[in-house]
Amino acid sequence: MFKKALGALVVASSALALIGCSVQDSPLEKSEITVYAGRSEALVQPLIEQFQQDTGISVKVRYAGSAELAAQLLEEGNNSPADVFFAQDAGALGAVAKAGLMVQMPAEILGMVPSSYSAADGSWVGVSGRVRVFNYNPERVSSVPDSVFDLAAPEWQGRVAIAPTNASFQAFITAMRVTEGNERTAAWLLAMKTNAVIYEKNSAILEAVESGAVDAGLINHYYWFARGKEVGFANMNSRIGQFRAKDLGNLINAAGVGIIADSTAARSFVEFLLSETGQKYFVEETSEYPLIDGVSAGIDLTPLDQVPAPEIDLSDLDDLEATLKLIRDAGLI
Amino acid sequence: MRKPPAILVFLGVCAALLALVPIGYLGLRLVEGFDKAVAEILRFRTLELLGNTFLLVVSVSLGALVLGFIQAWLTTRSNIFLAPVFAVIATLPLAIPSYVLALGYISVFPNFSGFFASWLVLTLATSPFVFLAVSAALVRVDTASEEVARTLGLGRLAVLRKITWPQVRPAATASVLLVALYTLSEFGAIALLRYDTFTRAIYNAYRGSFDRTSAAALAVVLVLITLVVIWFERRYRGDYLENRPALGKRLRVDIGGLRFVAAALLVTVGVFSVFLPVFSLISWSIEGLGVIDFIIVINALWASVSLAVLAGLLIGVFATALAIWNVRYRSKWSEFFEGASWATHAIPAVVVGLALVFFGANVTPWIYQTTVMLLIAYLILFLPNALAAIATPIAQVSRNLEEVSQSLGTPANRTIMKVVLPIAWPGILAGMALASLAVLKELPATLLLRPTEINTLATRLWSATEDLAYSSAAPYALMLVIIAGLPALALNARARKALSEVKG
Repeated sequence: MFKKALGALVVASSALALIGCSVQDSPLEKSEITVYAGRSEALVQPLIEQFQQDTGISVKVRYAGSAELAAQLLEEGNNSPADVFFAQDAGALGAVAKAGLMVQMPAEILGMVPSSYSAADGSWVGVSGRVRVFNYNPERVSSVPDSVFDLAAPEWQGRVAIAPTNASFQAFITAMRVTEGNERTAAWLLAMKTNAVIYEKNSAILEAVESGAVDAGLINHYYWFARGKEVGFANMNSRIGQFRAKDLGNLINAAGVGIIADSTAARSFVEFLLSETGQKYFVEETSEYPLIDGVSAGIDLTPLDQVPAPEIDLSDLDDLEATLKLIRDAGLI
Repeated sequence: MRKPPAILVFLGVCAALLALVPIGYLGLRLVEGFDKAVAEILRFRTLELLGNTFLLVVSVSLGALVLGFIQAWLTTRSNIFLAPVFAVIATLPLAIPSYVLALGYISVFPNFSGFFASWLVLTLATSPFVFLAVSAALVRVDTASEEVARTLGLGRLAVLRKITWPQVRPAATASVLLVALYTLSEFGAIALLRYDTFTRAIYNAYRGSFDRTSAAALAVVLVLITLVVIWFERRYRGDYLENRPALGKRLRVDIGGLRFVAAALLVTVGVFSVFLPVFSLISWSIEGLGVIDFIIVINALWASVSLAVLAGLLIGVFATALAIWNVRYRSKWSEFFEGASWATHAIPAVVVGLALVFFGANVTPWIYQTTVMLLIAYLILFLPNALAAIATPIAQVSRNLEEVSQSLGTPANRTIMKVVLPIAWPGILAGMALASLAVLKELPATLLLRPTEINTLATRLWSATEDLAYSSAAPYALMLVIIAGLPALALNARARKALSEVKG
């Protein structure tokens, strides 16, 4: 009985989801919006407060992990209290978009950002960039290897830390599949089963490299900068570096936003994140890369177009399933 | 068989039905993707996880049983010195969330990880469950029959095995059940210490792939394991023995020179379970004091304490009703509903949380993301914690008293209120305290179900560690340990009060 009722609800809510998908020409007026934020409160709350001051729109923010929030949005279906989903990675945004829970992003917003940092179908838009880097202990590693593929060599056994459950790592593996093919990717993963030390997330890897528990690790660049700001860059035991030009190990990822319930307020929130104020905030406070023209990266960052990154469209990264299969087959998760 | 009062049945059935919501949700997810679910379960990896999980659950259960029993026996029945101090030390790990314990170890020993690390941390974190249950039971043990057995020529160990153990067995096995289910559903510490269990795989299925079907398939296996564990516990629990009041003088056993060995053992355990993690927290906190906003801390403190108290009361009411029903009016039905409330106890909190997100957003939107929903989640998650503590004191209320009361024409409801509850009251309070403690430390379901913009100490601690700011995380962790220390100390004070009665 109970199960049947729930089943009926699922059917009903997915029907509603289809209706919700269509673009609304005249969005609702709202004076309060709810944002589900998978980003850290300490880092983005000041920016959100600035938005409230500038626009008079009040914002209720629900902070949790991006993946947990995505799961929450999927469970809530069309009855979600959320207006906007502000996530750490393309994977979480993609999962919600795939379930038909996001409203098409207006073209003028999509136009502000290079298309490779947003969803191909325009369901979400990238707002800040981050680069995959090689984090290492200079006492144990003399120089950054040429390529991330070099980490498969026997000399790296037990020395390099990865986080296979982390979204950025998975995006990197998807990129590897897209450019190098499944076979080479599978071989690399298998080598990493032997060579790598597995951690839960980027921050734990950085902690391990800093404390000397491992020699090196693959992380996103801003973790290193955040730590430097906390303890002082001079007190850092580890360094970050890039592989040679166009290497997959230098993949650029984006954090982004999607609109769950359309309104002028929700749109102006997204526009604010992509405004000069918003973009400068990411540069200065979170050490991330700006994604709009006219705002330059921080002085201690290599400009995004000079980062030796592979040319990959982020929206190709929805293909998580196949990536996860490879990671699982290698026994890494 | 006597007919139980309607109110007990009503409360008991409500609690059990709520506990079945997550199972209904899992069923729904499985039906949606049956083939995929079967494929997930039939992976070789599942077998590997099963082996890992089995190894950890069995070793932690045994470890906690042995450690908790030794601590309980030494502090209540032997003539070891400083027994009250050792009792406090044995209780205090209850106040330290296992992920904080793990974090404490990692910050001191960066390479601390794997099976042994997980076993050690979880054994230390869960042994207080056994310690509290067993010491409460040991205090009430009928020492006269022990003396008789001694005079008939039985050795100390034989007495312990043949006379003492059967009397504490129900309390001990119920607490080991808690330990086993805690280990099954533990995520935070396991993830930090990088050991793979079913629960970690379930989290990974959600986090990595937003794959609700695989997660549900694994969670169903976890429920099946839970049922097996419960079945074993029921089989080996033995009968609750009624307390026979004051039979002879209680004597502490003189263990002679072994006292020094025993004290050294307890000191070592205390160093690893309490001093080391607390020391590491304090040193990090001192570093982080400058960056802490005290208004945020006070708000989080208030949210944590009020939620813990409310949830403790709510859980106490339901657990007492279910315990009285099942202990004093035992029937097939009471056993079924009591069992049902245990069945979900090993489901990871994230699954319970998501089940209630689904249910709340789509069926009961008027309570979704309100405190009410959060309290229901706590009731589902922690009812067994209270149940385990409350069943024993209720069983120990003398049936004669109840019969006398009823023979004088007092109705069953009134007899419960006037006779059973007052006598079992300290035990019921202990059950509430245990539930409140668990609520204080809970994280995944709180994150999913709390009202938007409400933060507890645990959620603040989480966001600080997300930023990798150990120094700003530590003050929250320390505050959490201090606050959780209060009910833990109260629980211990109760044990100590009983101790003073034991002094011969």
